Amino acid sequence: MEIRQDILTPKERLLAFLTGKPLDRILCMPIVTSNAAHLIGKTVKEFQLDGKVMADSYMAAMDRFGYDLNYLFTNCSYIAEAMGQELVYSEDEPANCENPVVQSMEDLSKIKVAEKTDGKFPVFYEALDILNTEVGDKIFNSVCFSGPVSTAATLRGTEDFARDTYANPELCHALLRMATDSCKNFIKEVVAKGAIPIILEPIASGSIFSPKMFAKFAFPYIKELVDYAHELGAAIPLHICGKTHKIVDQMTETGTDIVSLDICDLAVAREKVAGRAVLLGNIAPADELLFGPIERIHEVCKNAMDIMEGYTPGFILASGCEIPTKVPFQHIDAMMDAARSYGAYDYAKAE
Amino acid sequence: MNKETILKEIRESLVEMEEEKVVELCEKTLELNIPAYETITEGLIPGMDEVSRLYEEEEYFLPEVLVCSDVMNAGLDIVKPHLDKSSMQEPIKVVMGVVEGDTHDIGKNLVRIMMEASGMEVHDLGRDVPLERFIEKAEEVNADLIGMSTLMTTTMDGMKTVIDRLSERNIRNKYKILVGGGPISQNFADRIGADLYTKDASEAVRRVKEIFGRA
Repeated sequence: MEIRQDILTPKERLLAFLTGKPLDRILCMPIVTSNAAHLIGKTVKEFQLDGKVMADSYMAAMDRFGYDLNYLFTNCSYIAEAMGQELVYSEDEPANCENPVVQSMEDLSKIKVAEKTDGKFPVFYEALDILNTEVGDKIFNSVCFSGPVSTAATLRGTEDFARDTYANPELCHALLRMATDSCKNFIKEVVAKGAIPIILEPIASGSIFSPKMFAKFAFPYIKELVDYAHELGAAIPLHICGKTHKIVDQMTETGTDIVSLDICDLAVAREKVAGRAVLLGNIAPADELLFGPIERIHEVCKNAMDIMEGYTPGFILASGCEIPTKVPFQHIDAMMDAARSYGAYDYAKAE
Repeated sequence: MNKETILKEIRESLVEMEEEKVVELCEKTLELNIPAYETITEGLIPGMDEVSRLYEEEEYFLPEVLVCSDVMNAGLDIVKPHLDKSSMQEPIKVVMGVVEGDTHDIGKNLVRIMMEASGMEVHDLGRDVPLERFIEKAEEVNADLIGMSTLMTTTMDGMKTVIDRLSERNIRNKYKILVGGGPISQNFADRIGADLYTKDASEAVRRVKEIFGRA
């Protein structure tokens, strides 16, 4: 396997991709997040609370992997946190919500629509400022945040939220409304700092809700976020965790620029998305990337690239979801190597 | 209304998530002197089996399973006080929980709901369960099966620790071990010596019944 050195910088490569110019290799964006803290000897907790630690972690990750996008992300609950939900921070794991604040309709008074400086939002702004100054000429930054459904489910508790879709849809919609407005306020700030907002919906997953429920409770709110980002002149990817083969067309219909997939047959996605959006995915983070071996990682990456060959407007090789802290860094290198080998394009010819 | 019709209606109304109707029908079974045992084993449980099937076929999802199980429990509340305990087969006893270090419990809860709905006796230890607790509880209630789940890669090894401790104490063969959760695979289950891995809750219940010859 011949691994070719990169010719373009990550920023040049993504710009070329977006403007239809020639690339030196396939874009490769393993979803490296808080595990990057371990590259500089910091904990996940420090990463989540300190913008400088966050920025330094991503710069170390860029140097190590040479990937094409910084995915700024701490945990699935920080929008809920900014709305008034208490989270539990453990030393080396993403923070999580143990006691959902909204137990009844009356509890809506305990939360609010998050604004610019609420919760841990400023950690992201600090990190973005540092990254823009230090490496802004080399790479784009993105900020991933839980979308309306996942945020509402965090505030309510996922099982209660799921029951409410039948028993108390008014409460669901009230929560979704506030979560959507909170997301919009955050998107505005993120876009103002030149970063790409990425909607994550671990709970609006095809593993949890039916396509019919997705249409009722997820689609309208996600579409509102997509429209809002477009009004601001920003591209906005949509990532949904778990199974998506039955909702991938609805994901596309939100108007998202990039459909980011976890568990979905790429051939099925290719057919259903049919050129309406870029596809990104979907090397299994807790399977091949976790267990390896290296050769197997090369093989699954090559296989994904083969299935997606010639797809327009384009395919980006990525992990199916956030890469867990236990994945050896060499396995992320292996993914990048696959892109620099099987995904290398004959760049000289294109010049 | 005769017995067959009323049991059939219980099954169908449960699948359709009609709680009031199921409660009403269960009350009617008492009036008609239909044994509680039959209402449970030929009405409520087969209704929930159909829900499991629909879940496995991706017709029903988490909200539907939760609502149906609430309906089933509402029905059980009506007939259970009238149950002649000696008529029931000894249930499969399960001790389950999310392993230490992880608090994600939707998957585990779904398995519990479906196991209970199929008549198993489930001792749910909750989430972030200390590893030793699985063994203590299993010994205490004389369980048939220990079920462990996790959504996080950092806590997967805890499952192996539990199995190793059982072996060290020469009690490994007393229990079947079921493992599941996002990062768990058949490959991992084989590697740590678990008896059973399933991809989803519905399959878990089906396979557990098979193992114990109750299919």
